[in-house]
Amino acid sequence: MLSDKAKASIKKLTAKYPKPESALMSALMIAQKENNNYLDRALAAETAKIVGVPEAHVYGVLTYYSMYNIKNIGKYHIQIDTNIPATLAGARKIADFVSEELEIEAGRTTKDGMFTLTEVECLASCGTCPVIQVNDVYYENMTIEKTKALLASLKKGVMPKPEVPEYLGGTECNVLLKNRRVKDSTSIEVYKKNGGYKALEKALKMEPQAIAAEVKDSAIRGRGGAGFPAGVKWGFLAKGTGKPVYLICNADEGEPGTFKDRQIMEYDPHLLIEGMVISARALGAKLGFIYIRGEFDWIADILDKAVDEAKADGKMNDLDIIVHRGAGAYVCGEETALIESIEGKRGEPRIKPPFPAVSGLYGCPTIVNNVETLASVPFIIEKGAAEFKKYGYENNTGFKLFGISGNVNKPGVYEYPMGVSFKKLLEAAGGPKGKLKAVIVGGLSVPILKANELEGLNMDYDSCIKHGTGLGSGGIMVINDEFSIPELAYRAIKFYAHESCGRCAPCRYGSDSIKELLKTLLDGEGTKKDIETILHICNNVKGVTVCPTGEAFTVPIKAMVEKFRNEFEALVK
Amino acid sequence: MDKKVSLVIDGKKIETCACNTIVEAAKENGIYIPTLCYHPDLKPSGSCGICVVDIQGHRQPERACTTRVLEGMEITTNSKRLRDTRKLVLEMILADHDTDCPACLANGKCDLQDICDNLSVTTRSIPKKLKKLPIDDTSCAIQRDPNKCIACGRCIEVCSNIQTVNALTEVGRGHKVVISTAFDEGMGNSPCVNCGQCTVFCPTGALTEKSEIDLVWDAILDPTKHVVVQEAPAVRVALAEEFGMEKGLATPGKMYAALRRLGFDKVFDTNFTADLTIMEEGTELLSRATTGGTLPLITSCSPGWIKFAETFFPDLAKHVSTCKSPQQMLGTLIKTYYAKESGVDPKNIVSVSIMPCTAKKFEARRPEMNDSGYRDVDYVLTTREFVRMIKEAGIDFKNLPEEKADSLMGDYTGAATIFGATGGVMEAAVRSAFFLLTNENLPSPELKVLRGVTNDIVEATVEHPKLPFPIRVAVANGLGNARKILEKVKAQIAETGKSEYHFIEIMACPGGCVGGGGQPFGCEFVDRGIRGQGLYTEDDNRPLRYSHDNPMVAKIYKDFLGKPNSELAHKLLHTHYFERSQTDGKVVKETTHKH
Repeated sequence: MLSDKAKASIKKLTAKYPKPESALMSALMIAQKENNNYLDRALAAETAKIVGVPEAHVYGVLTYYSMYNIKNIGKYHIQIDTNIPATLAGARKIADFVSEELEIEAGRTTKDGMFTLTEVECLASCGTCPVIQVNDVYYENMTIEKTKALLASLKKGVMPKPEVPEYLGGTECNVLLKNRRVKDSTSIEVYKKNGGYKALEKALKMEPQAIAAEVKDSAIRGRGGAGFPAGVKWGFLAKGTGKPVYLICNADEGEPGTFKDRQIMEYDPHLLIEGMVISARALGAKLGFIYIRGEFDWIADILDKAVDEAKADGKMNDLDIIVHRGAGAYVCGEETALIESIEGKRGEPRIKPPFPAVSGLYGCPTIVNNVETLASVPFIIEKGAAEFKKYGYENNTGFKLFGISGNVNKPGVYEYPMGVSFKKLLEAAGGPKGKLKAVIVGGLSVPILKANELEGLNMDYDSCIKHGTGLGSGGIMVINDEFSIPELAYRAIKFYAHESCGRCAPCRYGSDSIKELLKTLLDGEGTKKDIETILHICNNVKGVTVCPTGEAFTVPIKAMVEKFRNEFEALVK
Repeated sequence: MDKKVSLVIDGKKIETCACNTIVEAAKENGIYIPTLCYHPDLKPSGSCGICVVDIQGHRQPERACTTRVLEGMEITTNSKRLRDTRKLVLEMILADHDTDCPACLANGKCDLQDICDNLSVTTRSIPKKLKKLPIDDTSCAIQRDPNKCIACGRCIEVCSNIQTVNALTEVGRGHKVVISTAFDEGMGNSPCVNCGQCTVFCPTGALTEKSEIDLVWDAILDPTKHVVVQEAPAVRVALAEEFGMEKGLATPGKMYAALRRLGFDKVFDTNFTADLTIMEEGTELLSRATTGGTLPLITSCSPGWIKFAETFFPDLAKHVSTCKSPQQMLGTLIKTYYAKESGVDPKNIVSVSIMPCTAKKFEARRPEMNDSGYRDVDYVLTTREFVRMIKEAGIDFKNLPEEKADSLMGDYTGAATIFGATGGVMEAAVRSAFFLLTNENLPSPELKVLRGVTNDIVEATVEHPKLPFPIRVAVANGLGNARKILEKVKAQIAETGKSEYHFIEIMACPGGCVGGGGQPFGCEFVDRGIRGQGLYTEDDNRPLRYSHDNPMVAKIYKDFLGKPNSELAHKLLHTHYFERSQTDGKVVKETTHKH
């Protein structure tokens, strides 16, 4: 039975959104949180009734997102990131250690009901890996010693306050990371003191079309990973439909190797808010959403607080922002899946066309932009498009956040102009640890580059394509020769198979089949034909999936197999 | 949209409506594009990816089922890449599919079999990895085998968007996705109303009816049992298509002949009790209309609709006619009236019905359906099961002679036979209600305004100088439309205390029973109309068109029941209703009482 407090919170949520079903995901979290972190059928049914959706629908939602538990779970849910950046930083050892200490395998709960151990996907802590999430709290930069201490504390029933990790990143452009090291940077007073909200002041005196024109002129390309010019996307917005226009900030940050948006939201939330208010003015949106991945619970709180501060300070007279928490699904980073998720459904992508700019959230014209894109708007408006274009070069303009992780000495997020040489970035990150073997430069979903392929590589959209890879989200993962590529490939495809939404056959079967074939090879039972089959799947699944997730796994796996063929053939029995 | 566009598919120039997708445009022009999850009656999901085609200027292949045609498009439907992709996807689907074909009810009628055969999918490079999930046996009407599910989403589209029942959902993520019910409790423990539309649309054997073929054979082959059979009107227009004859042709004569050759001891016809229902329900309607009873009266012969009403509109229970369905009326009469007339001990009678319907399997098993003192209907076979039995017995259906049903409860009028089409019950009822009110027949028995398969509510007002008042009626086919009309009625009553309608016909299945959940596969909505038309043609050709003219109906009142709505008629031919939980479909309490 839901407590009265929970019922009241849920009812309040259903009134906050334009449609009550949108409250479903948060309502289920509320119910779960007060029931020892899991949802049984009765609670799900009760929540379904208040929100007004069928029970079957609720079950579909519960079994789609990883953060809902429909079975009893331990008091402390130990979630260890073992995705690629974490593996490169030594997460495997941590995971094995915890498994030994607790005497359970991943996926199981200790007999006394205290601990459940799960290996999870990228938590966007790539620069501070290994990372363990216990319930809602991140513990970063974990070592065996620190893990021992953490477990000891938890066994006593105390969740220790996490150590704030040292920030190793840097900035040459000093725009998006301007306030990163400033004390109390999340406060509106500090933000204003450092020059914040001046851009908004200017924008409020501009016509919406003038704002849009400036953004278009800046030629800023979407910073989420697709690199589509934001100003052009804004231009597709359907006009005169009589329907409300929505602006959605994509803060799902799920691409492995990517932890840049987090820096903005966690340390400079007002920069994002200011960017959204200005953009909303350009688009005619009165309601905005920040769709933030569910694992970033404390960052969502920071955003909520910042929104309240901004409202109280009169900065949001024409825009309301709802901070909407996800519940664990990489595919919700795809804009139409994200929209489905806000509508209270399983976050599965829609067939395009129609595009969100024509028919998006609730069938209304909607623009979805990445955090970094929106956070760049204040600079573009305050200083002008011409100033923005001084960074980078034609079609690859502006400043960019690059997240560098893996086998480097100073992993962190670095802000440099578009087109910066890879060499320079690697130096800024303290150079490689160990012997450099390969790098994946654009988040996981781009072709891997061998050490001898890095010569002359510049970090921008067009240069990366010329170099046979992609800039993607700019998440750079450096790999040294301690790591086997087939093992990394297996871990990578495990990620995609886990995240595949299941909507279309080529992706859900393709990702799983590649996973099974790689496992067979790694177990020593594979044949040469299996390697050919993996490539055959990559070639034939690419381009025929409903959303780009198909490309996201076929492209990197193919590149790994082709470029490191000898390592795969060595596994053949 | 009337705007036309020109495009080229495989070098062939075609013209088509701008609103069409590539699949629709190709079909119109006799060009074949392979598909699997696509169904012309449903919104395309894009799930399988088999229909991918190449479009000039597009970087990647596009799904023909979801892509609208554009002026000047140049499309290629086949290439090495496209063929390789299609074969690979099918190979991957087969890798986790329980390819148990010889023992599967969909064997020979399976879209997956067809497409794999078509593309010669014979390579095996994907490791087999079966799901090994339990079969859902919880419903008496529908069986669900998740090991054969290809997650095409058709069943959810039907259940949620057309029927608005929402019993099914995708569960899990990625490779693990299957279709299931809330908390995997099973269809028997869900709001499923047993309409069976999911089984009609399912491309594989994942969703089928719960088979009673073996039970019926056991009864027929048991020399101590006297097996009596009845058949719904919609069955007789759905057999021709299964035996190489013209789709929609009514073949009642051959149907009776087949039943006798299968070994049934007595062959009655549900159409007899359809006529009887009109007398009972017509009398009920008039009584309510003239004594301030609850209006609108709503028909009660569709058990999918009844369970839907009990689950989602329990507060409208008093509006539902207390009449049982023709199936249940006949079942009761077989073990009382027929037993008396024939001298057969009812405890040795096995009462079987052949229905276009899966919900009838649930209706027969309702605990209260035992007014005869025994189970009124013991077993229900769908049309599909009946066809299987005919084939099993090696009967050459096409060349059977025309036989007659046993006339005691086998003779019927044209009004009865149109029950199987949406609007048919209403038309039959109006034909007799008019007579009961005016003592005359309508100028013409045909009320064409009520005919035709549309995805909407049909409304009509029957006016005539002899009528004491104009009769306002509505017809809803498919539960989505049922929901619409009921919300309207509720709103009208809430606002003014009454509704504009006197009588509403509701059928759970789009098209009415001719489109029932137990009917042969491969029937698009447009085909349902063809079967319905077969019934109207039969009606045209019958000597008697009005239920109140059926002499065997007059006889049963004279010799047994007394008169419509008599005490005995109420005991045997009327029923009562319940409220059901929207969580598990189980009875919560009674909403009306049997007197």
